Amino acid sequence: MNRFIVAEASKCIGCRTCEVACVLAHTGKEDVEALAGREFHPRLKVLKTLTVSAPVTCHHCEDAPCVNACPSHAISYRDATVQVDQSKCLGCKTCVVACPFGAMEVISRPAIRSFAGIVVADGVKAEAHKCDLCIDRAAGPACVAVCPTDALHVMDETRLAETRARRQLRSALEASNVDAA
Amino acid sequence: MEKHISVCPYCGSGCKLALLVENDKIVGAEALDGVTNQGELCLKGWYGWDFVNDTKILTPRLKSPMIRRSRDAAFEAVTWDEAIAFTAGKLSEIKKKYGPDSIMLTGSSRGTGNESNYVAQKFARAVIGTNNIDCCARVCHGPSVSGLMVTLGNGAMSNSICEIEDTDCILCFGYNAADSHPIVARRILKAKEKGAKIIVCDPRQIETARIADQWLALKNGSNMALVNAFANVLIDEGLYDKEYVANYTEGFEEYKKIVAKYTPEYVEEITGLKAAEIRRAMRAYAGAKTATILWGMGVTQWGQAVDVVKGLSGLALLTGNLGKPNVGVGPVRGQNNVQGACDMGALPNVFPGYYSVKDDEARARFAKAWGVPSLPAEIGMSLTDVPHAAEEGKLKAMYIFGEDPAQTEPDLATVRKGFDALELIIVQDIFMTKTAAYADVILPATSWGEHDGVFSSADRGFQRFYKAVNAKGDVKHDWEIHGLIAKAMGYDGIDYHSTEEIWNELISLCHLYKGATYEKLAGLGYVQWPCTEVDKPGTPWLYEGNEFQTKSKKGLLFAAEWRAPLEKIDAEFPLGLCTVREVGHYSCRSMTGNCVALATLADEPGYVTINPKDAKPLGIRDQELVWVQSRRGKVIARASVTERTNVGAVYMTYQWWIGACNELTIHHVDPISKTPEYKFAAVRVERIADQAWAEAHVVQEYSALKRRLADAAKPGDVAPAKIRAEPVPA
Ligand code: SF4
Ligand code: SF4
Ligand code: SF4
Repeated sequence: MNRFIVAEASKCIGCRTCEVACVLAHTGKEDVEALAGREFHPRLKVLKTLTVSAPVTCHHCEDAPCVNACPSHAISYRDATVQVDQSKCLGCKTCVVACPFGAMEVISRPAIRSFAGIVVADGVKAEAHKCDLCIDRAAGPACVAVCPTDALHVMDETRLAETRARRQLRSALEASNVDAA
Repeated sequence: MEKHISVCPYCGSGCKLALLVENDKIVGAEALDGVTNQGELCLKGWYGWDFVNDTKILTPRLKSPMIRRSRDAAFEAVTWDEAIAFTAGKLSEIKKKYGPDSIMLTGSSRGTGNESNYVAQKFARAVIGTNNIDCCARVCHGPSVSGLMVTLGNGAMSNSICEIEDTDCILCFGYNAADSHPIVARRILKAKEKGAKIIVCDPRQIETARIADQWLALKNGSNMALVNAFANVLIDEGLYDKEYVANYTEGFEEYKKIVAKYTPEYVEEITGLKAAEIRRAMRAYAGAKTATILWGMGVTQWGQAVDVVKGLSGLALLTGNLGKPNVGVGPVRGQNNVQGACDMGALPNVFPGYYSVKDDEARARFAKAWGVPSLPAEIGMSLTDVPHAAEEGKLKAMYIFGEDPAQTEPDLATVRKGFDALELIIVQDIFMTKTAAYADVILPATSWGEHDGVFSSADRGFQRFYKAVNAKGDVKHDWEIHGLIAKAMGYDGIDYHSTEEIWNELISLCHLYKGATYEKLAGLGYVQWPCTEVDKPGTPWLYEGNEFQTKSKKGLLFAAEWRAPLEKIDAEFPLGLCTVREVGHYSCRSMTGNCVALATLADEPGYVTINPKDAKPLGIRDQELVWVQSRRGKVIARASVTERTNVGAVYMTYQWWIGACNELTIHHVDPISKTPEYKFAAVRVERIADQAWAEAHVVQEYSALKRRLADAAKPGDVAPAKIRAEPVPA
């Protein structure tokens, strides 16, 4: 089963610490200096409606619409996650349209090229941008680590099974209450 | 990589963290397992440290002393010797000519620490000879201190942050924990998980209201009426603890008489709440085995604030929710060390340790310890008295230490007029703030991260923080600066070599702090005052045995008639403006605004939040720029159209320069605590047709203001006729 990040809306206080952690985790450094002059594109977005505050992000679906839709096979399954190979991404936005959760975004970054040891600008490069579960970060998902209220978790097979068991128990109890009444 | 133990310099939660340092530069922060934060931090703790590195995102760090010989001249960089001689000379002159009470000083509730606040008030009292010293408690929890001192005898939180999660019922009154203290919000969530009932009284659908069992969306400005109605229900329905009231309180008969009128039915109209809701809330509060009241600026920043604080403490007294663990009254302090500045006596009426300046014995004792013949007995001036006192000519000089009144005081136009009337303004800070731009002398200090010290967190917890890096400019520790000026003015009693030396002097003079030694505070140590013995751990909850710290040892029940906010809404100004804070920025923003991550999340001109029902008829759409205007000023802000904001009110956060809501607020203060009514000003919001112009205007004004302050911080390069931090012209 693919892993993914879940947020407990009852615990989220909408502080956006997770958003900063996410952007920082993808600069390759932990020093906030790396954020200077960068556009701010977190891979999870904290949404606030009248009654809900919670980040939304990629579900790393088992049968992922984005994987199925991508015409250049840039999106694939790896280590129980869904990953984008940026070198293949065309920026065509088919995946953005396909994702039912609005988790995918296409952004453009200034591209650079090294030539004889000199770094030169090379137009812009489009990237399909979404949660990669911090796959290149040794310490694991950054957002989960920083959330001050412990509202974020990595959902994997074991955790999902636990949650299911809890819910089943609850419905059983509710059903017995109905009988008793 | 080195790690240095520190305490977060932002809110009063007192989160312990480690600063990661490489080559004498801070490169990261890590959560530590502190008593209040248990290894968690909010975004300010995680990402709010790079201002120390002089990022110059908002304003530059001050790197050398500067003076300005006339208000029209540019700043000149000078040596410390010259700056000290200049400052001491001017202060002595003014003191001689107009008397010591013509000089006003401030403490600093921010990153500087308790020791330097102790020194600042010692300087005021022993060197200048005045009690004119105050700190920004005045504009935040001043009413909590004034109110609780009278009813319970101690102005601080009665119980600890850690206890919140084990209470059975939380009454959150005018307190948005998610935005002001995320780490306290976390305890509220934990309490909820453990089964506590949560009752929220707030006009807005704040985060806590979302998870509350009951949300009482009272009308802005009806606090006192609701609190009286709460008391009315407790008495009328016989929900109060008769034995407790009989044994441990006084004033019940008088109290009962006043609240008798405030039946839930009677206040329906004033509060906009259903009587049944009010009754239900009090049944839950009184029915819980343990219950805690938490409040914030929604209670204190009103013209009627002290009364409401007293009223809230009355609810706890009526139900016996004091004097044991997991109960109590919690005015949760906003700034990381506002509790500390008060503890250290940076207040016009008390010495360190809360001895009244009117107490002859205390005065004599402090005078003897400080080596002066006598100390002033008159209560000094409050910060909010300054503009008028200056204009009247009563005040001639102001020594502003680590605060930014030109951003944070109400009705900024009046503040600026006050500044213009002063003969001398001394600013001691780490940044070129809007206030610093008015100064005659600028004394640059070391920042949090560059010095040692002790902070007091919101629940009276002393914690040590350590120096992590060396300061980079020609700057000095705050307490050194006060010491040098004192010496130049002929006083040798401020001659310290370390913060520990200062701390030892402090605890030797205050029985409340006597046992809180540096040794006990080392590392992750946490000592909550009162701690009267070295071998005692401190006091997590107050009033053991229900013995209050009032003269009679009893808790005072006190009620007052409800008063409406001063300013009325009308056809011209139909909305009530309430100033609030947001989680990613702090106070005047001189620190958070210089942090890359925090500045990225939220920047100028800041938001005005408005309900769709109010926005629609005005033709205002989400994210558009709008004018917000009051009888006192007019600023640009970005509309955030959200149902979480109640109809009839708009909210702005107070740290923006362009969207500076304090241009709009009113100078109307609580008669006792002198805290301003930041929570209510009549305004109107107007659509701006030409959005492109407005966007460009904001960018232009913001860069111009930044440039003015940056230029001011670089003496000699430019000679601006007047460096002013005026609002955007309409
Ligand atoms: S860090 Fe946690 S509490 Fe804050 S917005 Fe993200 S999920 Fe919510
Ligand atoms: S797991 Fe990593 S990539 Fe995914 S949302 Fe969290 S921080 Fe971002
Ligand atoms: S701002 Fe407050 S809650 Fe956030 S880390 Fe600092 S002390 Fe903790």
